[in-house]
Amino acid sequence: MSGWRNLFPNAWYVAVREYRSRATSRSFLIGTLILAVVAFAATQLPVLIDVAEGTSQTRVEILATASGLPSDALTVVDQVLNGSGTAADSSSHKPYALSWFVGGDPASAQSTLETGKFDALLIIDRDPTSRDLAFILRTDMPSDGRQAQMITSATRMLAIEDGLVRAGTSTASVLAPTNLKVLPVSSSGTAAVHSISQEVSSTLLSTGLIVLIFMAIITYGTWVAMSVAEEKGSRVMELMLNATTPLQMLAGKVIGNGAAGLTQYGIILGAIVVGLVAQGPIHQAVLSGSGTSGAFGGLNAPVLAAFVVLFALGFLLYSLLYAALGSMVSRQEDVQSATSPLMMLIMIGYFMSIFGLQAIDETWVRIASFIPFFSPYLMLARVSVGHVEVWEFGLAVVFLLVAIAIALVVAARIYSAGVLLYGQRVGFRQILKAARVSR
Amino acid sequence: MSLVIDSITKRFGDVLALDAVSLEIKPGEVFGFLGANGAGKTTAMRVVLDILRPDSGTVTWGGRSNRDLPHETWGYLPEERGLYAKMKVLDQLVFFAKLHGVKPKAAERETRDWLDRFRIPEYADRRAEQLSKGNQQKIQFIAAILHDPQVLLMDEPFTGLDPINVALLKEAFLEMKDRGKTLIFSTHQMETVEELCEAIAILDRGRVVVGGNLRDVRRSSGRQVVRLAVEGDPEIGWLATLDGVRVTRRGQDYTEAEVAKGFDPEMVLQAALARHCKILHFEIADPSLEEIFIEQVGQMDTSERTLAPKAVYA
Repeated sequence: MSGWRNLFPNAWYVAVREYRSRATSRSFLIGTLILAVVAFAATQLPVLIDVAEGTSQTRVEILATASGLPSDALTVVDQVLNGSGTAADSSSHKPYALSWFVGGDPASAQSTLETGKFDALLIIDRDPTSRDLAFILRTDMPSDGRQAQMITSATRMLAIEDGLVRAGTSTASVLAPTNLKVLPVSSSGTAAVHSISQEVSSTLLSTGLIVLIFMAIITYGTWVAMSVAEEKGSRVMELMLNATTPLQMLAGKVIGNGAAGLTQYGIILGAIVVGLVAQGPIHQAVLSGSGTSGAFGGLNAPVLAAFVVLFALGFLLYSLLYAALGSMVSRQEDVQSATSPLMMLIMIGYFMSIFGLQAIDETWVRIASFIPFFSPYLMLARVSVGHVEVWEFGLAVVFLLVAIAIALVVAARIYSAGVLLYGQRVGFRQILKAARVSR
Repeated sequence: MSLVIDSITKRFGDVLALDAVSLEIKPGEVFGFLGANGAGKTTAMRVVLDILRPDSGTVTWGGRSNRDLPHETWGYLPEERGLYAKMKVLDQLVFFAKLHGVKPKAAERETRDWLDRFRIPEYADRRAEQLSKGNQQKIQFIAAILHDPQVLLMDEPFTGLDPINVALLKEAFLEMKDRGKTLIFSTHQMETVEELCEAIAILDRGRVVVGGNLRDVRRSSGRQVVRLAVEGDPEIGWLATLDGVRVTRRGQDYTEAEVAKGFDPEMVLQAALARHCKILHFEIADPSLEEIFIEQVGQMDTSERTLAPKAVYA
């Protein structure tokens, strides 16, 4: 193979050309823009939901005619309707605006309600015989709607509180947390206590990262195959073959298309990060309230580093194979069918890792996490959810590197044979035969 | 410093594309590969370029194997025109030149020079897909020569071009010859070969059937051709009755006849004078390349070169 020498600068020129023609193509620009906008919009969903909920405020007029109401009656109702922490966080948005009147004329309250100033009137009275609280709710809102149900819950809480106060105690003291300490199994005291929310969030995170790798390999791998087939289809290949070696072309294409793919990925991820960071300020600007915190739970430096390494190596491995398969067809239309075996392989790895997340300590997951075609997914799953020794990760990376070296040799052979074979789709047997005699 | 192709054999599956092909092409020569479709012309060029590896045999230029020679030695104009459709003409020419090690600045200067020479300077910033076939071929020609190769290989360079573009390209060819380049091209247009080439090789199904200096090839057949025109008798019916004479073509201007080996073509003239014909045209010519081609290639197997007889349905 004469191509092993002098890989550069020609591979670099090819890569630059590939990158430019890809990154300036209309489909790339439009696709990137749409995806970035969608990704940014997705991060703003919580804000949108809050906005949708926040703009409708239910105004409730409360007339307390009952004698001897608990002193914290208003707080109890407010807490049920507007959630906890209302006292501390006065700036946050309240779905219910409560106007509290103690004593007064039900008839005038009724007429105020009829003017449309309020959505509902709640009259709190006391049954003279049973001494229990009695409520009247006047409203045109649906009786089984969310607002009516919330108000019903509030009255129930208020009735309980009232009953407890009359019995000489209070809800607060009845519902006070018990004195309970939770400790890990090991008595050494260094292990952290796991929480379900932590586990859920790291599973979600690793699923997200696996999907990121999966999408990148399929989308950008197909780009590589497409660009090889395009060059063959337009017959530039012959001109290129006199100017470069197949290996220079192969390397240039993988690097150029990979870089274009990463550029698009970077822009989309950038839009997501900007979206998450901007969530708070936007929330504040739109709703004048503090926003939800970003969904970064479980993301730490080791997981991020593992992601970057596995992403790069996995992409490299699969791109080489995509390039080889792309060289076996003469037209771009045939790329889809030619690369379907590779698609299957990628899908298998993807589903293994999705199932593997639920059974991270099983032996098959461990074994598969060392197999180069699957390790980008499964090792990542193990790093983010399970427990992985450093040497295990290192071994998987070494296996991947070896697989890439083998794929490079095989792909270059198939490529140099495939690029000159025109006609129908070339079978593997033909390719192997041609690969043996070509340079 | 010649290009020596030494008993190259290349097999694709069951097809023997090149069968022990040997040729020597002198530096500075214009050399023509002739042959029907599938005769092995393209394969031979790809082997010379080291794009394809032969099963056996060697190719050397100036004594060095083509495997050791840098790509820059060769300029290649493939039969299938291929350019990056969406790329601007100037950009892609500079790109190809860079791959051959030419500095971008020099490549741009050369490109603009050649675009000017072809009288299409305004195409520098157009995308290749916007160009006509003829103009694309000019771009491909420029791509083949930008890196100043010593040997220029062109596969069917004139196919599908109009006469004006053919003339332009021929002129560019001859300029490359004047610059001392060795030119090798394949074609099945005999007139072009007769016009441009000093040496030829006729390929048929992977084998060289005739090769060498064009004049020698013509003479080697031993055939003699006589062209005769007489006043008042366009048919010249008596010509076919002469011993050793076979009429090959009856035309408006003259009638062409072949004189067998061992007969003197002069006897045709004497026979005409004896018949008191008024002679308008008499010429003793070498056989045309086309005749040699048909003689050489046609002799080998005529059955494949004619349509099978019409099927008769009852």
